[in-house]
Amino acid sequence: MGRYVARRLIYLFVVLFAVSAITFGLMHAVPGGPFDKEKALPAEIIRNLEKRYHLDEPLLNQYLRYVKEVFVPEFSTTKFSSNFEDDALFKFKIGGVYVKWMNFGPSYASRSRTVNDIFRQQLPISIQLGLMALLVAIIIGMPLGIIAALKQNTIFDYISMSVAIFGVSVPVIILGPVLIWIFAVTLKWLPATGWGSKPPYLLGFLPTSMGWNFFKYAIMPPVALGLASSAIIARLTRASLLQVVREDYVRTARAKGLQERLVITRHALKNSLIPVVTILGPMFAALVTGTFVTETVFGIPGMGKYFVISITNRDYPVIMGTILLYAVFLVIANLIVDILYAYLDPRIRYD
Amino acid sequence: MRSKTFVFVSLLVLASMLLAACQPAAPEKVVETVVVEKEGQTVVVTATPEEAVAEKKSIRLNLGPGDVPTLDPALATDTSSIQVLWEIMMGLTRQDEVTNEVQPALAKSWDISEDGKTYTFHLRDDIYWVKYDAVKEEVVQVMDCQETPAPRKVTANDIYYGMLRTLKPETGSNYAYVLAFAVEGASDYNNGKTDDPATVGVKVIDDTTLEIKFVEPAAYNAAIAGMWVAYPQPSWLIDGDDCTEAQGDRWTETGFNQGIGPYVLKEWVHDSFITVVKNPFWPADVASVPQPKIDEVTWTMLDETAAFAEYETGNIDAAAVPLADIDRVKADPELSAQLTIAPNLCTYYYGFNTKAPVVDDVRVRRALSMAIDRQALIDNVTKGEQVPAQWFSRPGLAGAPTLESHPDLGIKSDAEAAKKELQSYLDEKGVTADSLDITLMFNTSSAHQKIAEAIQQMWKDTLGVNVKLVNQEWAVYLETIRSDQTPQIYRLGWCPDYADANNFIREVFAVNGSANPDKNSDGEPDGGINWKNEDFEAKVREAAKELDPVKRVELYAEAEEMLVVDAAAIAPIYWYTRVTVTKPYVTRTFGSAGQESVDKWDIDMAAKGQ
Amino acid sequence: MTAQLKLDAKASAAGGQPLTQKGESLWKDALRRLIRNRAAVIGGIMILILYFFAIFAGVLAPYSYEKQTLTDQNKVPQWLINVFPTMKPYAQVSENYLMGADYVGRDLFSRIVYGARVSLTVALIGPFISLLIGVTYGSISGFFGGRVDNIMMRLVDVLYAFPSLLFIILLMAFFRSTFSKPDPGTFSYALSQADARLGGMLFIFIGIGLTAWETMARLTRGQVLSVREKEFIEAARTIGATNWRIMFRHILPNIVGPLVVAETLAIPGYISTEAFLSFIGLGVNPPTPSWGAMISDGAQVVRTYPNQTLFPALALAITMFAFNFLGDGLRDALDPRLRGTQ
Repeated sequence: MGRYVARRLIYLFVVLFAVSAITFGLMHAVPGGPFDKEKALPAEIIRNLEKRYHLDEPLLNQYLRYVKEVFVPEFSTTKFSSNFEDDALFKFKIGGVYVKWMNFGPSYASRSRTVNDIFRQQLPISIQLGLMALLVAIIIGMPLGIIAALKQNTIFDYISMSVAIFGVSVPVIILGPVLIWIFAVTLKWLPATGWGSKPPYLLGFLPTSMGWNFFKYAIMPPVALGLASSAIIARLTRASLLQVVREDYVRTARAKGLQERLVITRHALKNSLIPVVTILGPMFAALVTGTFVTETVFGIPGMGKYFVISITNRDYPVIMGTILLYAVFLVIANLIVDILYAYLDPRIRYD
Repeated sequence: MRSKTFVFVSLLVLASMLLAACQPAAPEKVVETVVVEKEGQTVVVTATPEEAVAEKKSIRLNLGPGDVPTLDPALATDTSSIQVLWEIMMGLTRQDEVTNEVQPALAKSWDISEDGKTYTFHLRDDIYWVKYDAVKEEVVQVMDCQETPAPRKVTANDIYYGMLRTLKPETGSNYAYVLAFAVEGASDYNNGKTDDPATVGVKVIDDTTLEIKFVEPAAYNAAIAGMWVAYPQPSWLIDGDDCTEAQGDRWTETGFNQGIGPYVLKEWVHDSFITVVKNPFWPADVASVPQPKIDEVTWTMLDETAAFAEYETGNIDAAAVPLADIDRVKADPELSAQLTIAPNLCTYYYGFNTKAPVVDDVRVRRALSMAIDRQALIDNVTKGEQVPAQWFSRPGLAGAPTLESHPDLGIKSDAEAAKKELQSYLDEKGVTADSLDITLMFNTSSAHQKIAEAIQQMWKDTLGVNVKLVNQEWAVYLETIRSDQTPQIYRLGWCPDYADANNFIREVFAVNGSANPDKNSDGEPDGGINWKNEDFEAKVREAAKELDPVKRVELYAEAEEMLVVDAAAIAPIYWYTRVTVTKPYVTRTFGSAGQESVDKWDIDMAAKGQ
Repeated sequence: MTAQLKLDAKASAAGGQPLTQKGESLWKDALRRLIRNRAAVIGGIMILILYFFAIFAGVLAPYSYEKQTLTDQNKVPQWLINVFPTMKPYAQVSENYLMGADYVGRDLFSRIVYGARVSLTVALIGPFISLLIGVTYGSISGFFGGRVDNIMMRLVDVLYAFPSLLFIILLMAFFRSTFSKPDPGTFSYALSQADARLGGMLFIFIGIGLTAWETMARLTRGQVLSVREKEFIEAARTIGATNWRIMFRHILPNIVGPLVVAETLAIPGYISTEAFLSFIGLGVNPPTPSWGAMISDGAQVVRTYPNQTLFPALALAITMFAFNFLGDGLRDALDPRLRGTQ
C-alpha cells in the first residue's frame, strides 16, 4: 500500500506535466491573444507587452520557462524583490539562503496580481464553499437514497427520488436568485451576497472565525451549489444499497436473526458506499472549481470565475494555473478514493 | 487493522499536503503576508466602534463583477480601476464628470505657447502624499527622508516620474499609447527606439512648474494631461529610497498604497470590495474637487443582478438597474421614484466591411442602416431610454455635434428611403433581396444577441433581406473583426478615454484607427470597416487642431456626415444611457464619461437610519 | 432511450452465443419486469411523447421558433397573471400566446417544443458516446488489471485531470474559430457545414463526448474490480470460461445496473452542460432554441416574468424525471439477483 501511494504521487507529477503540455498547446492554438481589447492597441504597445511577458519567444521556450518557474526551486543569498518576477507560492528562508518555489506567473488581466496571489486569496474561499456544498450534498443525498432503497417502490421511494430529481433539475442560476429573493430581499434573514471570511486564513484555507458572521453568508450558496450533487448521491446510494441488500452475506446476516437495523447499518451500508465514494472525489473537485455561476449569483470572491474568465481573457498564466490546480485536486481526490476503496472493500488489493 | 491505521495516516499526510499547498510558508513570512495580517487586526478593531461613531457618513456602491484589475495609474485600462483612481489620485487637470469641461486640478493654471503645442502647468503646492495608517486608523501624511522628516508634497517631479514610468517599454502599459501619440518624443521612447528620457517632451522647470510639449496644437491636449496615465506616481514607494522599502509591482496593495486624491485607499480585499476614506489633508479651495462630505466609500464587486438585490435589501445605496428588471422598477411606486436615466457617453454601432461582397455597395449599406428602426429597438429591446444615434461621436463629448445644434445631421431610420436605395442596387444587379448573402457577426452575449435578433427581423420585414447571425467568443471575435476575415457586418461599442470627439471619430475610423486597422503600415486599411477617404482624414486632422469650439463642431459634423451618410461605413445604432436607482437619502451627480465624483456626493445619515 | 438502444445491442451480442439454461430468458425476463414497473413505464412513455414532440415540432408548434413580434415582447396570457399576481402592475396581456412571449416577442410554447430537439439529442448522443468508449475502455482496464490497468488508468487520469467544462470551453473556442471559414471541399468545411445545419450542436456533442467517457471508464473499472473478485467469477474461471465469456456473461450483466443509473444521472448533466455553454455563450447558435439557453435567458427576468424560466425549466424537469424513472426501472429489471422475484 505504501509503495502504491508513493507510486501514485510520483505519477501525479507525470500527469501534471502531461496536463500542462496539452493545456499549453491547446490554449495557444485558440485564436485571439491576451491583449486583444475592444480598443485595438498599437503594434508597438503590443510588442512592449509581449516582451514584458516573454510572449515574443518561441513557444517551446515559453513552456520550458513556465515549467522551470513552477517546478524548480530558486535559491538566492539576497532577499527576493516584491516584483512579480520574483513572486512565488512558497517563499521562505533556510539558514542564510532565500528560497522560492512554484511561481505561477503574473495575471495579464489583473495587472496588480499574480496567479499565486489568486491561489492564496481566492482558493481558500472556494475550498470552504466546496466543502460545505459537499457536506450539504451528503447530508441531503444519503438519507434520501437510504430511505428510497429501504422502502423501494413505496410512496417514500417516489417522494425521496422526486425531491432528488427536483434538486438536479433546478439550476443554480434559477435557484440562486429565488433564494436571494425569499431569504434576503423579502425576509431579510440572510445577506444576499458576499462571503464571511477574508485573508489571512487559518491553515491557509479555514476562516479565522466561524461564528454567525461567517455562517450567515455560508447557508444559501452551499445549498444552491450542493443540491444538484445531492441528487447524484441519493440516486447512487439507492441503487447501490438495493444491490447490496440482496447480497448473500446480508441474507446470511438476516438469516442468523440479526436485527434489521443492525443488518443495514453494520453490513449493507458500508458496502453500498463504494460507488458513492467513487463519485465523491471528482465531485469535490468539481464543487471547488465549478462554482462560476454560484459565485456570480451570490457575489462570492472565490476561484470559480477564474476558470471561465481566464479563457475569455486569454490570460495564459491563469489558465495554466487553474487547470494545474484542478489536476492536483482531482488526482489527489482520486487517490484518496482508491485508498478508501481498499478500506471499504478488503478484497480489493493494489500491490 | 494495521493497514487501516496506515490508510488513515496516509490520508492525513495527503490532507496536510493539500493544506500546505494553500498556505504561505511558515518559517519566515514574506513581507506582504505580514502586512495582510496587520490588516486583519484592523478589521477586527473597526468592526466594533462603528456604533460609537454614529456620525460617520458611509456609502456603499458597486463597481461590477470581477476584481478591480489594478490601482496603478500606469496600468489601468478599465472603468473600475479608473473610477477608484479618480478618487485616490489626481491629474494636472480634471474633466468635469457631468459636462466634461476641462478644469484645473493639481495645476492651478497653465500657459499655452504661441504655436499651441507647449503647455506650461503651474502646480498647487498644498497637495500632500497621504496613506491610511491601519494601526492609528487614520489617514497620515507621507514623510520624506530628511533628518527632520517633512510631509511629501506633490511636485512636478512626481508627474514627470509618473509619465515616464508609464511610457517605459518594460512597464508594459496598454494606455501608454495615448501619451505616445500626443506628447513629443514619447512614441520613440515608448517603443524602445531610444532609452534617453530627455527626448520625451516633458520637462520639470521647478517643483511647481511642469512643461509638456505636445505633437499637435490640439484642443484636447489639456484633457490628455489630466488622464490617469499622466498622474503623479510615488517613485520612493515603487523604486525605494533612503527611508522607504521598494515595493515594486506591489505598491498599490492595501498597506502600501499612497495617494493624493480626495480619498485614500483603506482596504482592498481582492475580488470582494475596496474601501476608501476621506483625505483630511485635501485643500478646501480646489474648484473641481471639493472636500468630500462622505467619510467612507465602499465599492463592492458584484454582478449587476446581485448588486440590484443588495440595493433592494438596503445594503447598497446606488445601483444600476438590470435590463430584466426595468419593467418591474418602472411599475413599482417606490423604486420608480428612485430611478434616474442619465446620459453615458458611449455609442453602439454596426460596422460594415466596405470591401466585402454585397455591402461593398454604399446603397446596400445605407439601406441597411436606414432600415433599422432605432426607436422601436430602444423601446422594446434595450429599454433604457437610449437615444437613437444619428452619428458616431456621442453628443456631450467636447467637439461633438449635438441634436439641438444639428437635428438633421447624420442618418435617420427611414423605411421608405431604405427600400428605394436597395431597389436601385437590386435592379442594377438583377437580383432579388432574399438572394443576398449577408452575415452579421457579434461577440457572444445575450444582450448583443437580443439586439441582433431584433435588427435581423427589421431587415427582413423592411427590405426582405435574410441576414445570417453568427457569434464568436470575444477574443476570437476581436481578432476576426480586425483581419481580412472581417464579416460583412459586425457590432462594436465605444466609450471615451478622454471625453473628446477626437477620441471617437478619429481614433476609431481614421486609417489605422481602432476599427480601421492598417496592420502592414502601408497606409491602406486591412480590416474592420476597411475604409479610406482622404477628405475624411484631412477633416478630422483639421478638427483636432481647431481651437475655436464652434468651428470645431462644424468640422466634426462634416466628417460625421461623410462617415455615416455619404459612405455609410457604419450604422450608428444608439447612444448609451445609464439606468440607475439611488436611495432618496443620497445627494449625487451623474457622471457621463464612466466615473462618478463621489467627492461631490452627500448622504443624509438620519434619513438613512429610518 | 440510449440505454435501451444499448440494451438491444447487448441483447443481440449475447444472443449470438450459446447460452446456458436460464440465460436465454435474461433479457426477456428483464423486459417483463420492466413493463411491470409502473414508474418506469410512465417514464418511458413520457420520453416517447417528448421525442414525438421533438420530431413533429413543426406541426405541433403554433408559431415558428424564430418569428418575432417586437411589440408583443414579454406579453403574458391572463391565466399566468392569475397564477403570478406580482406581474399584474406591469405585465401586458395577450391571449395569443399559451405560455407568454419572450423578450423579443417569440412564442414561448413554440420555442419549448422546438427546444426539445436540442436537449433530447444531447440526451441521446451524450450517453451513447460516453458508454461506447467508457465501458469498453473501463472494462478492459478493470478486467485485465495489473500493468494494463495501470497504463490505461494513468491515461484516463491525464484526460480526467482536465476540468471538463474548461476543456469543453477551450475545445469549443478552438472548433468555432478554426472551422469558422474553411475552404469548401475540405473536412473542416464539411464539419462546419454540419455544425451550422445542426444549429451549432455538433461541436457541443463532440465536446461533451470527448469529456464524458472518462467518468464512465472509471466507474466501469471500479465496478469490474469489485465484481471480478467475487465467488461466481472464480467459479466461472475454474470451469474454464474464456475471458470474453466471463466479461460478457458474468461481469457486464452484474455491473450494468450502476452503469445505467450513472448514465441516466449523467443525462441531466449533459443537458445542463449544454445549458451552461449556452449561458456563457458557447452553446447553440441563435435563434435555435434550447431549453438551457431559454432557462439562462429567463433566469435574468425570474422575478419580473417568472413564466419565461418556469416553463423551460418544467420541460427540463419532466425530461429528467422521465429519464430517471426509466433508469431506475431498467436498473431493477437488469439486476440479475432480482431474477424470478416479484
